[in-house]
Amino acid sequence: MVEKIYCEVCTPSIHLQITMSTNGQIGARESFEARTDYSRICSLLRTALLATRNKDGGWGYAPARRSRIEPTCWVALALGHSAGQPPDVQSLRSWQRQDDWLLDVPGTPPNAAFNALAALTFVQAPSAAALAQPMVNRLIQTSGRRFGQNDAVRQDNSIQAWSWVDGTASWVEPTAWCLLALKKIRSRLRSREADERIQAGEQFLFDRVCYDGGWNYGNKEVYGRKLWPYVPTTALALLAMRDHRDHSVVARSLEQLQKDVASERSVVALALTIICLRAYGVETYALEQTVIGLWTLGDRDNLLSTAMMLYALADANRQVAFTV
Amino acid sequence: MSAPVEHRLSRRDFITTLSVPLLAVGCGQPFDPQRFHVPSSSTVGLFPAGSYEADFADLIFRGLGELGIRLAGRRVFLKPNMVEYELGTAINTHPQVVAGAAIACQRAGASEVVVGEGPGHRRDIEYLLSSTGLADQLREQRIKFVDLNHDDVAIVPLQSWFTGLRELALPVTLLESDFVISMPKLKTHHWAGMTCSMKNLFGTVPGAVYGWPKNPLHIHGIPNSILDLTATIRPHLAIVDGVTAMEGDGPIMGRPRKLGFVAMGSDLVAVDATCARVIGLDPEKIEYLKQAARFLGVIDAERIEHRGELPARYATRFDVVPALESLRLPR
Repeated sequence: MVEKIYCEVCTPSIHLQITMSTNGQIGARESFEARTDYSRICSLLRTALLATRNKDGGWGYAPARRSRIEPTCWVALALGHSAGQPPDVQSLRSWQRQDDWLLDVPGTPPNAAFNALAALTFVQAPSAAALAQPMVNRLIQTSGRRFGQNDAVRQDNSIQAWSWVDGTASWVEPTAWCLLALKKIRSRLRSREADERIQAGEQFLFDRVCYDGGWNYGNKEVYGRKLWPYVPTTALALLAMRDHRDHSVVARSLEQLQKDVASERSVVALALTIICLRAYGVETYALEQTVIGLWTLGDRDNLLSTAMMLYALADANRQVAFTV
Repeated sequence: MSAPVEHRLSRRDFITTLSVPLLAVGCGQPFDPQRFHVPSSSTVGLFPAGSYEADFADLIFRGLGELGIRLAGRRVFLKPNMVEYELGTAINTHPQVVAGAAIACQRAGASEVVVGEGPGHRRDIEYLLSSTGLADQLREQRIKFVDLNHDDVAIVPLQSWFTGLRELALPVTLLESDFVISMPKLKTHHWAGMTCSMKNLFGTVPGAVYGWPKNPLHIHGIPNSILDLTATIRPHLAIVDGVTAMEGDGPIMGRPRKLGFVAMGSDLVAVDATCARVIGLDPEKIEYLKQAARFLGVIDAERIEHRGELPARYATRFDVVPALESLRLPR
């Protein structure tokens, strides 16, 4: 029952031996040399994720936890992507809904960011792609709350992009997710409203970019003090702005991301950065080696980071879910 | 944690936002007096710790004894304050203090000790755990950590209604524990005045439900949210990292300021009021402490007994942002 980990990290090769526990914890009895065999790493990650699937077909943020939208989408995308197949969206199809929103946790407000991710996931499954449209229509109709200007922060508070939940301010991560979803099916939307919402989202990201490039949760300064960008948030925002890759803000942020990620020691941050840099055609080999080493030493119960890592390490040519 | 939504509000708007829920309850109380009991007196311990080289396990274990805290057989949940990381700053509860508290609780017979936090700005808990060094401490001591932002949640009815909200989703790991310890870093806070053991509870609100930052708490007023969270979670103990605190533009951009103590007490209101006085702020002028004195705990200095050192030993005046000058104790 107890997970036994043996991990030897020896540059440049990485050898793993992870023992599978019987209580749903991640692991697999394998040894391999990471440098030469990504398919076996991906196989390990797939085994780990498949072993932690809930009875309802979804995944929680950790094994034996309630199924949630975000990990379920990421795992579905990662498993599908790594197998060269569309994501299995069966559990998402039957997810509890309120109007056209998927409800992450009954009794809590609908979450725009995770609904955008779910729409992106549906789009990747041809049989379910039509299910994305009503969700995206809801996203078009929703916007962050408008606030007056405030001397404490120099930013344009009139821009209404996307909030996490209704009735609150606009923030970077939900805006990036909603932009990705809208842009992904833009050709099908063909509406002035959709174009206006995309414009507002992009304007918001341009406004909230940190002074040296990159994004954090959504404030570039407070009381005149510059705030710093976060690696995963920057990677996500860059994915949403890839169609503006020649814009100076995007170029500066891409440069900042590559600087900041060098000292990053988080699987989520590295995986998202790999996905982002690959979308921009930047070499990611060193980051892939780092993330493999970190995952072996880190929290293997984190299903979100495991799924992101699987998606990031699988065939780059098939990474289209977040490419706009 | 800073509260970015207020960045969008003028100070007047902000104060108005705070007042609305209070007015909304009309003549009625925003809490049921039958459910709360303010003790006639409370005890706060101030235990010297000149640096982070101190033996915090020993210090906190002795503190538990002095305060008469019994932990045998209890599942203890430790809630440190982890917000951001920047080298040389004093943003987070120091990992040595967290590890020391965990060991002390184990020595005191706790059946389980879990550390959990749900940072309000950064989703990436792995980044914070590794950069702050807390991951190493927890691994070394074999202490379990739970990311409260992504934990399973249960909908909980609020026990007071300052926000106007009736319920909130809270992490099940927190709810399933039977002894909750709030472990803040003592800091000035540019919106709330001060952040200590009560404000620290913002980190229990799950980001995966309410977002980053936890904007609904700001929309409904920071002091109101502090009160409702404290009234609902009712932590059993506060252990405050006042070894090196933060003054000025807290809770993130302020400067480290050495104080040299760990504060402990089972009345969080009394602990926070004592810490406020130590840094030169008047608890009567800090909105949430003033309201908390009505139903949650004691802020009158004469009704607070002390263990360890007296507050006068550490009393000083912290720098604050200009908007908070009015919160100062008279010289």
